Amino acid sequence: MRQCVVVGLGTFGASVAKTLIEKGCEVLAIDEDEEKVKEISEIVTQAVQADATDEKTLRSLGVDKMDVAIISTGENMEASILVTLLLKELGVKTIVAKALSDSHGIVLRKIGATRVVFPERDMGVRLAESLATPTILEHIALSPEYSILEVHAPKSFIGRTLREINVRAKHGVNIIAIKKKLPYLTETGESDFKEEILITPGADEEVADGDILVVLGPTDKIDNLRNL
Amino acid sequence: MFQEEKRDFKKIEAKIAKIRDRKEKVEKLIELGKFYFLNEKYDEAISKFKEAVKIDENNAEIYYNLGIVYESKNLPEEASQMYTKTLELNPGHKLASKHLEKIVGK
Repeated sequence: MRQCVVVGLGTFGASVAKTLIEKGCEVLAIDEDEEKVKEISEIVTQAVQADATDEKTLRSLGVDKMDVAIISTGENMEASILVTLLLKELGVKTIVAKALSDSHGIVLRKIGATRVVFPERDMGVRLAESLATPTILEHIALSPEYSILEVHAPKSFIGRTLREINVRAKHGVNIIAIKKKLPYLTETGESDFKEEILITPGADEEVADGDILVVLGPTDKIDNLRNL
Repeated sequence: MFQEEKRDFKKIEAKIAKIRDRKEKVEKLIELGKFYFLNEKYDEAISKFKEAVKIDENNAEIYYNLGIVYESKNLPEEASQMYTKTLELNPGHKLASKHLEKIVGK
């Protein structure tokens, strides 16, 4: 079981801690604020009110034996840099640190953070992308030329099988998964739907109204798909 | 006197029959809409639910069903309008609030 330590229990840190628990990890949560520690104490494996910039404290909590550390004391730049440095010296292999600005990010990387995240900046970019192109739901850039993206099934695809659509030959991209909605009636007879993901769907799979296609391909071909 | 009473009685009976007919018609349209929804014929389902709304515009169940179909068609704006309307008419509609939360975000 992966052991993780989350330092700083603001909105970001708390939600990382909660999700790690849901994914089956052991989580030690640290913050100076008693209220925040109290709030999360029922969810995580262990919650401690402590000053994470103190090496002795970190050692006594066994932080040096953790697989992953997430440092989300972003608002306090000095603390986040200090904690990253201490954890690096204690020998934690994977250190993920939250940065407030580009320069903060550069410093974190230089002193040994294995990964620097910019939640606000990244979320802003994603939100703007989804607003600018509403048909594209998720966009993962693999390289400047290649991407994976989620698109609503174009009208011309609906009711046809993947073989008939022949997306690779005609559009130069691959459909790597289909997210489907499966309508059903609840026990009380009310309408509802379940969501299902078909990974590497077969050629006989039919595209239905409301399907979301996960497409892999050259970025320039993506524009063509968008306009279908 | 007796004649008048009899006439009134017939009027009331006719009214009740009319209401019953209306209710039955709405129920049938909802059933039909659900049938189309279950068979992923979303456009047909929408047209049945819209017909039902024309007859009974204060029925939360119809708006909820319209919401579900719009959401299945990836039309989140239309779906959230319908869920909002459902909750206006029936604030305790659990499925409508669950779906609305999913679209709008908690």
